[in-house]
Amino acid sequence: MRKTFIIIAALLAGFVAVYAEAPQAIIARAAVAKSEKAQGEILTELMGNADESILPLLDAWRKDKLFLFEAPGKPTMVVLLEGTKDSQGTQSAVDIISGKPAGVRLAADDLNAASHSANLRRIMKAVLDLTDLSSANPAKKLGAIAAIGQGQQSEKLPALEKRLAIETDPQAIKALREALALVRLKSPDPAVKLAALKELESLQSLASTDFVKAIIKDATAVKDEALLAAARSALQAVERHRTVVDFGGTMFRSLSLGSILIIVALGLAITFGLMGVINMAHGEMIAIGAYTTYVVQNIFANGLALSPFGFSVSLPGLHATGWWRESYFLFALPLSFLVAAGAGILLERGVIRFLYRRPLESLLATWGVSLLLQQLLRLTFGANNVQVGSPAYLSGNWIVGDILLGWNRVFVIGFATLIVVGVWLVLTRTSVGLLIRSVTQNRQMAACMGVRTERVNMLTFALGSGLAGLAGAFLSQIGNVGPSLGQSYVVDSFMVVVVGGVGDLVGTVISGLGIGSFDQFTQQYSPTVAGALANVPFVGGALQNLAQDSAVFGKILVLCVIILFLQWRPSGLFAARSRSLD
Amino acid sequence: MASPEKYAPPPPPSDTVAALLAFTVVAVLIMPTLDVFGVIDHFTLNLWGKYLCYALLALSVNLLWGGTGLLSLGQGLFFALGGYMHGMYLMRMIGDQGQYHKPIPDFLVFLGWTELPGFWKPFEHFSFAMLMVFLLPGIIAGVFGWLAFRSRIKGVYFSILTQALTYAGALIFFRNNTLMGGNNGFTDFKTELGFSLLEPATQRGLFIATAVVLIGVVILLRWLEGTKFGLVQRAIRDGENRTLFSGYATPAFKLFLFVLAALIAAIGGALYVPQVGIINPSDMTPEKSLEAIVWVAVGGRGTLLGPILGAVFVNMLKSYATRAIPDLWLILLGGLFLLVVLFLPGGLVSLPEKLRGLWQRFRPAPTSAPAA
Amino acid sequence: MSPTRITSLFSVGALALASLVSPARAEETVKVGVLHSLSGTMAISETSLRDVLLFTFDEINAKGGVLGKKIEPVVVDGASNWPLFAEKAKQLLEQDKVAVTFGCWTSVSRKSVLPVYEKNNGLLFYPVQYEGEEESKNVAYTAEAVNQQATPAVDYLLAQGVKKFYLLGSDYVYPQTTNLVLLEYLLSKGVPIENIGGGFRKDASGKIISAGKYTPFGHTDYQQIVAEIKQFSAGGGAAVVSTLNGDTNVPFFKEYAASGLTAESCPVVSFSISEDEFRGLPADKLVGQLGCWTYFQTIKSPANKKFVTDFQAWLGKSTVPGIVKDGRVTCSPMVLSYDGVYLWKACVEKAGSFDVDKVREAWKSGVSFDGPGGKVTTQPNMHLTKNVFIGETKADGQFKILKSFDNVYGEPWLKGKFTK
Repeated sequence: MRKTFIIIAALLAGFVAVYAEAPQAIIARAAVAKSEKAQGEILTELMGNADESILPLLDAWRKDKLFLFEAPGKPTMVVLLEGTKDSQGTQSAVDIISGKPAGVRLAADDLNAASHSANLRRIMKAVLDLTDLSSANPAKKLGAIAAIGQGQQSEKLPALEKRLAIETDPQAIKALREALALVRLKSPDPAVKLAALKELESLQSLASTDFVKAIIKDATAVKDEALLAAARSALQAVERHRTVVDFGGTMFRSLSLGSILIIVALGLAITFGLMGVINMAHGEMIAIGAYTTYVVQNIFANGLALSPFGFSVSLPGLHATGWWRESYFLFALPLSFLVAAGAGILLERGVIRFLYRRPLESLLATWGVSLLLQQLLRLTFGANNVQVGSPAYLSGNWIVGDILLGWNRVFVIGFATLIVVGVWLVLTRTSVGLLIRSVTQNRQMAACMGVRTERVNMLTFALGSGLAGLAGAFLSQIGNVGPSLGQSYVVDSFMVVVVGGVGDLVGTVISGLGIGSFDQFTQQYSPTVAGALANVPFVGGALQNLAQDSAVFGKILVLCVIILFLQWRPSGLFAARSRSLD
Repeated sequence: MASPEKYAPPPPPSDTVAALLAFTVVAVLIMPTLDVFGVIDHFTLNLWGKYLCYALLALSVNLLWGGTGLLSLGQGLFFALGGYMHGMYLMRMIGDQGQYHKPIPDFLVFLGWTELPGFWKPFEHFSFAMLMVFLLPGIIAGVFGWLAFRSRIKGVYFSILTQALTYAGALIFFRNNTLMGGNNGFTDFKTELGFSLLEPATQRGLFIATAVVLIGVVILLRWLEGTKFGLVQRAIRDGENRTLFSGYATPAFKLFLFVLAALIAAIGGALYVPQVGIINPSDMTPEKSLEAIVWVAVGGRGTLLGPILGAVFVNMLKSYATRAIPDLWLILLGGLFLLVVLFLPGGLVSLPEKLRGLWQRFRPAPTSAPAA
Repeated sequence: MSPTRITSLFSVGALALASLVSPARAEETVKVGVLHSLSGTMAISETSLRDVLLFTFDEINAKGGVLGKKIEPVVVDGASNWPLFAEKAKQLLEQDKVAVTFGCWTSVSRKSVLPVYEKNNGLLFYPVQYEGEEESKNVAYTAEAVNQQATPAVDYLLAQGVKKFYLLGSDYVYPQTTNLVLLEYLLSKGVPIENIGGGFRKDASGKIISAGKYTPFGHTDYQQIVAEIKQFSAGGGAAVVSTLNGDTNVPFFKEYAASGLTAESCPVVSFSISEDEFRGLPADKLVGQLGCWTYFQTIKSPANKKFVTDFQAWLGKSTVPGIVKDGRVTCSPMVLSYDGVYLWKACVEKAGSFDVDKVREAWKSGVSFDGPGGKVTTQPNMHLTKNVFIGETKADGQFKILKSFDNVYGEPWLKGKFTK
């Protein structure tokens, strides 16, 4: 029964469409259409329509706020829910075609939202793209331009040309030229095609690779030599550009991975320099910092209920919104430092101070602590990973000459620099730093001069653990926050410290950057090298599948190189000079 | 670096001999007999077989740590390599009884291979596999040890470096493209030298073999302790530079011990695989090697009994706790370990001594001390 | 000779031995094993399955149990340690003599216990999507086979106009096999080989035998791979087919979102991310990314509504140490565990016995259960016929169902099926 109504409604609507159907009506018709294909076709009618009512409606549709109201015996009505919810959760329904209240109150939970799929959203996007071409938001504008280019629909050429004529932003101009060239590749006129290829060649457009390859294929098939030559030359230019982009990108990624390694290893390097022992619970200090960030995030939001060992603990929430809520991360940074430093003091007072004369055993004791802490975290926060969101100021990116610079990565690099400088200042410009350095260099002598080495031990350990906590706060922006978070980084940080050598910040920095770059460059270039070696007997065969798991190969090679490196410098890059022997 | 600690000299020979005798009787005669008559179920015997393999690994750790002062965080690598070499033979023995019923191991089929890679071919011979059980770990230990000891890497550096070695090994074996079974490793073994591994009798035989090997290794190590070599070994532990300056080429001594320890671990691994039924790279991860160190520390390092006792005790505790208190056993293990390191540096073997000391201190009227 | 030392050795041994021997039990219960990792790396995923199993047992016991016997769960911790899994399986079968075991998540844990179950003729219910290529009479695979997840998802993507596929996975048997099958499947659908990204495996003669990019477990640095995907998708029409293991998805998706890739520009369809994994993922950055499972929590059916409410109510009352009570969700592996228990109950009742052989016969004869994800039916090949759903992520970490395939027959043997 209802189906008939819909069909009749659709037919009627179709008639009306001839007489310039209102965009609201088109959207309503699409929303009730039965198949996704039909929905797509109806929406396509909106293409080029600049009516400003389209954006909010499609936006509501995408966000599941466009509802289908099926009153018995009536055609399905497409409604928006407005006004405040009453006790039953109902809101006033507004018919989208007339824009007037439908005279009923409905609850969102009882209604079906108009359906949409990625494909449909792509069409909606295409509709909006044309409007977005003049958007004030640069990212939106660029996305719209690229989408039109990839669509290669010649009917959109005028819109692009019109925009290019008035566009002032250089990035948008480049994108527009690229999109125009891509669309023109489909042109039946060979001269236009050739010009488009020339344009792409001069633009070194990475996005055009597939399209140019398709041209080469077609041109080879029809033996169009001129076209083939132009396409090949364009492709070569693009590939040349790609080499540059890959190299630049690898440099940036090296820097960012190196910064992470420096951040996670810095605390360890300090305690290692002091005690000559590796704190195996270092990873758990990182995890504590990350969990602190998680707790702070929840306090800024809606609070957090925990049930460690069957007790129920409820942390109240501030219910903050907007930028205030996003600023949680800035509060989490110092807190994660303090909490981890506190845990470090407990660890030092409770365990490590009994073992200063037995360094290898303190390595083992801290491993026991690490097992304990992991399980405690698991019992407190659950075995699952927890969710730490990225504030908006850490989740965008810049694209410079096709090289991607993620804000979180840039932030990590900046912060690593800040931490290193900060620690350096603490160690060299403060009295605490002087004490730490004196105890690190010669514990007995420092004690003789009246330095309370016990207290310095505690402070140093607190500093080292606090830095691990800070690292945890950062890692929450990049990876998992879970009970075994520390385990993924702990071996890496040992390596950085061992290669860097004892008691020297510069050593840690160089070794962190070195290991990071080595890893990234191996990852990027080892498949190429392996490909070149394919014909070398034995080695070639073993390496030929490297492209599949170059990520792990990078790590393996780093470890091997470290083992060999220590042959050359057994105590790391910057060994503390000493005449003492055992 | 803090000054190295001093250890009690090795226990008097009569002690070890008596314990060894008792152990031989129990492990080689009583337990298998009880198993035949159903007093102990097959599961328990099999489990003890696994513990004894771990005991071999613990002895290997102890030879370096307790005996020489070298804390290797990578002995698990040699254990697993021994296991892998034996596992390759066992994989070939599956023949076409795998899931795919193809003449090559299943994991090669799911990677898309249709033919056996060259390096797999000789492993269908038991003798070759056994040779490789010793050869591969021996060569790796030899090369690594030569590099490390030549440049006088020691202390924490040596520990971290061995950890890097085993971590690299684990990453290599985790790769499916290494063609060694990847993350799954080897499993689903069927026969060993024609005997079905599912038969309790075969498992009993493997248990006895493990016990015999363990006893053999203990005797070997005990003998080594008594020779001049053992003396130099202890000298290196207590003051390497003095030993060096006294004219002993300590790197060569250490290299020999490192290779010997690797071989002991490798035999343990080779015996472990048919009894447990699986070998995979998780046995190479640094945590596994650290666990072995826990056994030695808990049992009592620097003795021969301690590591065996520790390996059996900790693993029994683990078997029990993962069933009885699955949520808390990690806390129990970590806590136990912490307590031992802090309050019982001599491990479990020193417990009677400690208790006796306490008893004597608080006993009102001292009597004559029992003859040691 | 020091008698104390020997005595202590033996007493410690005896103590531990005694503790291994389990005490006698009353006859009114039937022992059921639960073999999941509650510690170690896999605890992240497996703990939820332990929770749902305990809930199901309580639910069944409240209604009188199975064949008049109450279910007595024997929970053991496999500790993400595969040899320990084999040991615990032996313990469950040989010492506790459990009637059935529900357990395992990773393929390697299943592979390590498989010989134990075959030797003792035990029965293991395995609930997590897996690679197939296995059919043991001692395992009831309630899990999704590759044709109940990967191939329907690819069909959907092809229908959406996706032309290029980047295959990415963790380096273990499930992604390896899935990608092998997908390579054959995509080629059979006319996707040219240069449109398949990630890398290829070649055999000794240089012939392509499989595809995909693989990263190790616990990998944290996806910068280079995301940069590669960014270039791969620059021309549009691309999608990523991800078989990354639960844990590594977080760094991958955080990197993915930060690089500006979205569900519109290059959708990712993941086979290992369910609602439960979203508890640790930034869902708002993943809106529109696709998932394919045989159950979603958003399924609108009375059976599902009851399941979700009852489970959450049970959690509220639960006294299991460390159990998380807040913000819990349900997901496909959990529902397949739940379905598994009820299917086992139905098989036992049909067979009138707990005997494994009889239960298996009942399974092979075809037993149905109306679970939260719809009707599931047992098949003679020990797999399940079930419904498959494709959903896309919403900002709250739930899925919106886009398409469903009804009654898909579980087919474990797919390798070579699509190459003609």
